[in-house]
Amino acid sequence: MLYREAGQFKTTYAADQQIFPIRQDRLGILVLLVIAFLGVPLLASEYWFSAILIPFLIFALAALGLNILTGYAGQLSLGSAAFMAVGAYAAYNFQLRVEGIPILVSFICAGLTAAGVGILFGLPSLRIKGFYLAVATLAAQFFIVWCLTKFPWLSNNSSSGVISTQKLIIFGHELKTPVEKYLLVLSIVVFLALAAKNMVRSATGRAWMAVRDMDVAASVIGIRLMPTKLLAFAVSSFYCGVAGALYAFCYLGSVEPDGFSLDMSFKILFMIIIGGVGSIMGSFLGAAFILLLPIFLDIALPFLAGLFGLPFASETVSHIQILVFGALIMFFLIVEPHGLARLWQIAKEKLRLWPFPH
Amino acid sequence: MSKKIGDVILDLQNISLRFGGVKALTDISFNVREHEIRAIIGPNGAGKSSMLNVINGVYHPQEGKIMFRGTERKKMEPHMAARQNIARTFQNIALFKGMTVLDNIMTGRITKMKANFIEHALWFGRAKKEELEHRKVVEEVIDFLEIQHIRKTPVNRLPYGLQKRVELARALAAEPTMLLLDEPMAGMNVEEKQDMCRFILDVNDQFGTTIVLIEHDMGVVMDISDRVVVLDYGKKIGDGVPDEVKNNEDVIKAYLGAGH
Ligand SMILES: Nc1ncnc2c1ncn2[C@@H]1O[C@H](COP(=O)(O)OP(=O)(O)OP(=O)(O)O)[C@@H](O)[C@H]1O
Ligand SMILES: [Mg+2]
Repeated sequence: MLYREAGQFKTTYAADQQIFPIRQDRLGILVLLVIAFLGVPLLASEYWFSAILIPFLIFALAALGLNILTGYAGQLSLGSAAFMAVGAYAAYNFQLRVEGIPILVSFICAGLTAAGVGILFGLPSLRIKGFYLAVATLAAQFFIVWCLTKFPWLSNNSSSGVISTQKLIIFGHELKTPVEKYLLVLSIVVFLALAAKNMVRSATGRAWMAVRDMDVAASVIGIRLMPTKLLAFAVSSFYCGVAGALYAFCYLGSVEPDGFSLDMSFKILFMIIIGGVGSIMGSFLGAAFILLLPIFLDIALPFLAGLFGLPFASETVSHIQILVFGALIMFFLIVEPHGLARLWQIAKEKLRLWPFPH
Repeated sequence: MSKKIGDVILDLQNISLRFGGVKALTDISFNVREHEIRAIIGPNGAGKSSMLNVINGVYHPQEGKIMFRGTERKKMEPHMAARQNIARTFQNIALFKGMTVLDNIMTGRITKMKANFIEHALWFGRAKKEELEHRKVVEEVIDFLEIQHIRKTPVNRLPYGLQKRVELARALAAEPTMLLLDEPMAGMNVEEKQDMCRFILDVNDQFGTTIVLIEHDMGVVMDISDRVVVLDYGKKIGDGVPDEVKNNEDVIKAYLGAGH
């Protein structure tokens, strides 16, 4: 009886329409935030910040962006990494070319630039769906990376398009340590995740889901398909763009166009498949899973091999990784298309009844 | 019934609709008066659903004129029909499967909501106020159709009969002045049909909603409709009050002869 809504009677619609209507959820989120903002900075090591936590948050943000487009609005995209690239290069160029522009403003502008590009590549969605749309976004993936390599202006004439990001200065203070960068990324990601949650629980999100579930019925109800789909592309690309800017500025410090490869787009897609299509939390679960699994296997496999006295080659790890990923993705696609988030939901429903089976 | 039937609000003149070589509708004219229940009947494939699709802009007829509230309607998209307060339900349930009953019905109010996505994202301005206001209206619809108990249920977990009712709720949430119902009682048991009939009559009675109804159950049609138009192979073969239609030779031959 730890987790249940029984006894929490909602006497107003306002109470029923809160962002997290169930008290335990509210508490859970609050505890998570306190841990993330206060606990983690005290406990985690530098390695954890720069190798695990920061990329986790950034990929979770990108996955969230893709989830808005694919999970909520039902438009498949294989170009997430390219939109991240747009964000990264846009932020770099705003810093470079606009005198005295604050870093946060260039992040916002980076998001907006990515949103604009996203709308452009979202236009085919007005005519085509599903597989064919995925192919069109694939074109975005290759075209954008090609542009960034082809036009030296975009990388300030650096060779092969490599850019090194400018200093992170916020309110006159330069962020240097991993923990400072972590806190910046965390704040942005939390803010954008709450904004996403707000969008999907209101009319904007309902319009997206209506278009996803049954577009004829949606338009008969009065939803204009074109602006609704393009808005999804814009918001999604905004999120990916900001994620890309953070990826360049707070994670790697130096990026090249080829770094934003199709592989990375697929990785983000796998995150939402495993985490949960159409779930904000699923984006985080999926990102954690995909990023942590290799680390886990790196440690677990040699250990297991040692245990059984088997010879072990290091490249085996990466082979097994691919196998495990493949198997997991097939499992989720076939057995649980709503991913880890859905499994969590089921666990909560069980918990709601616990300890009584009925 | 002592209700007031008003003037003609929808006048369809010589409508013809083709899909390639298939003539779905041929030179059909009829009108709908304000506040009436207007039934469209006819055998399978007669063109009934196509007719509704023409009325709310899903299909565009190649020939003919549509007068709505006295003005000729230009070619228009379905979302425009919604803005002219025309709502509808579908022959094959067209609910939003990934959403709850409540969200489905809330979606029905979308044309009345003004807040933009930034207000939603930041939950300021009109966003919160609107969500609450519209929730109230939606709750009234939920009460009206007696579906309080399934409010939070994902629609795909509901039995067929209830899904049909939720679809009606979603249409009613728009507070339409004209409601197009495509076989709202198909596949229902007797009890569910009675409920649905009662709801349709109540909507018509209490809100004065004009209703265009496609239905195969002759008992129901003759019972609740004010006027009936009969289609067969895309042509109109009868039009009038239920008694007239019932005794129309062509209708008996074409329609009842077809095995209904
Ligand atoms: N989108 C479409 N494309 C091609 N043909 C269509 C389309 N919609 C309807 N038709 C054709 O138009 C004719 C009329 O179909 P319609 O669905 O309007 O009939 P109906 O009277 O509603 O039949 P039912 O009682 O089976 O629902 C049929 O021959 C059908 O095949
Ligand atoms: Mg039909």
